[in-house]
Amino acid sequence: MDSDGLLQADLLAAILAPFAGLDPELGLIVEDASGRLIASAGPVAPTADPARATGGAARAPAEVPRASHEIRSGGRVIGRVTARGPGAATPAVAAGVEAIATALGALVDERQARTAAESALMEAGAEAAAERHRRIDDELALGRTIQRSFVGLVGPDIPGYDLACHYEQAAEVGGDFFDLFRPLRRGRPLSVVVADVTGKGVAAALLMAFARPVIHAAIDHARGPVDALERTNRVLRERRSSLFITALCGSLTLSTGRLRLANAGHEPPLIVRGDGSPIVPMEAYGSLLGAFPSLDLVEAVTDLAPGDTAVFYTDGVTDARSLTGERFEDARLLGAIEAARHGSAVDVVDSIRTAVETFQAGMQPADDITIVAIGRRARRRTGRAAAIA
Amino acid sequence: MALETTIEQATARVPVTVISLDGELDASNFNELIETTRQLYEAGTRHLLVDMSNLRFMASSGLVALHSMLRLMHGEPPPDPEAGWGALHSLGLDAAGGDTQTEVQLCGPQSAVERVLTRTGLTRLFHIHPDRQTALAAF
Repeated sequence: MDSDGLLQADLLAAILAPFAGLDPELGLIVEDASGRLIASAGPVAPTADPARATGGAARAPAEVPRASHEIRSGGRVIGRVTARGPGAATPAVAAGVEAIATALGALVDERQARTAAESALMEAGAEAAAERHRRIDDELALGRTIQRSFVGLVGPDIPGYDLACHYEQAAEVGGDFFDLFRPLRRGRPLSVVVADVTGKGVAAALLMAFARPVIHAAIDHARGPVDALERTNRVLRERRSSLFITALCGSLTLSTGRLRLANAGHEPPLIVRGDGSPIVPMEAYGSLLGAFPSLDLVEAVTDLAPGDTAVFYTDGVTDARSLTGERFEDARLLGAIEAARHGSAVDVVDSIRTAVETFQAGMQPADDITIVAIGRRARRRTGRAAAIA
Repeated sequence: MALETTIEQATARVPVTVISLDGELDASNFNELIETTRQLYEAGTRHLLVDMSNLRFMASSGLVALHSMLRLMHGEPPPDPEAGWGALHSLGLDAAGGDTQTEVQLCGPQSAVERVLTRTGLTRLFHIHPDRQTALAAF
């Protein structure tokens, strides 16, 4: 990539960090055309990589598996995205790496086209600042586009569970984010974060980019979800932001289905039981992040039995508006989940997504929309198939 | 959906400006509400009652507006949403440092709006009164 830094390294690193969290052994690096490292995430050791010295030639069989894809813009190769780790040899990771490379190339194309069109009008000062904001906007939006495709493609493959995510960006840059962290060690829980920075614009998007690795680090060091959000809150308080973050932090022990949850001012997740009982919110309340020295969070605990699903979402779903100005609201959300409750997590997320899209009648949402569903598979597939039939 | 604001002056123990919100407060208009409040502060307002009885809906961006209104009444500038990192510093308003402040108070929220205030813990930051009369007596 060009030396003027088409992608700011620190932002790109923040964007990449959560992907590495999907698989603790997977490292991601982005290099420019000359093999210079621009950004990395996860366990990578770029200085000890002999492939770079030989221009990325074929590697000895004993090397760590890798998936790599060129970043192309304007018909030439401007860089390369590489994933390395024991799991990197799967088609899903290869597809994920290609998606990242394609998205980066598209961003560079778009930016160059715009720069050419605007250069005649461009003046120093205010215009330059505006351009800087647009670039940050672009990169943050890109980060989420990449995240969506990557999570969709290589979302942690957890035996016994179905995971599904949907993210849709608002017309103006918003502040939703979600992360799934595969356990760092065997037997450790899966962590899920769904959060929403209040407000709009560049400040909200930057706060999101800042908060996200903070939450990730807090989870790694915390005793549980309440501790993780309290730690995050302390860091945000040091930032003295005037924007707030509502956040859900869940910790799922895969062997037992036990879900521990902390809620900092966010919509509670909905628990959908496989036995057909009414859908209930998982009640755990506390203050949003960034406003108070302590959050007074109380942990909630529930056990996901085989066939149960937990649905996390942001207020972009329930606040979605129709052409006549109605809001989507809880009742329609519950209806959409009910319609798909005997399906997989993917079916549940699709049902909600379709219902919101139909309701909005094709308008782009005013707020980001995020939906994450985690379903514990029914114990016997035959039993489940019978239930669907 | 539009948000209409009505400004009235009331007299309690201190002069209070009542700002009534009619409609929906969301990402499309919360900055206008902050701007209105800034003008009120410049015109001398130091105590603000937000009458929410005709506010049918409040998105999470409404929370930013309420917090900014509070900062303005404390003589602090609200954050500039387009200023990037430079905006991300608060000026020392410490919400939980003891008694809830009284400069900005709320009244009459409908249940949907009250749920947002309760869920996010902003009830720790603002006194919420059932109606305007009760609220004015509390200033």
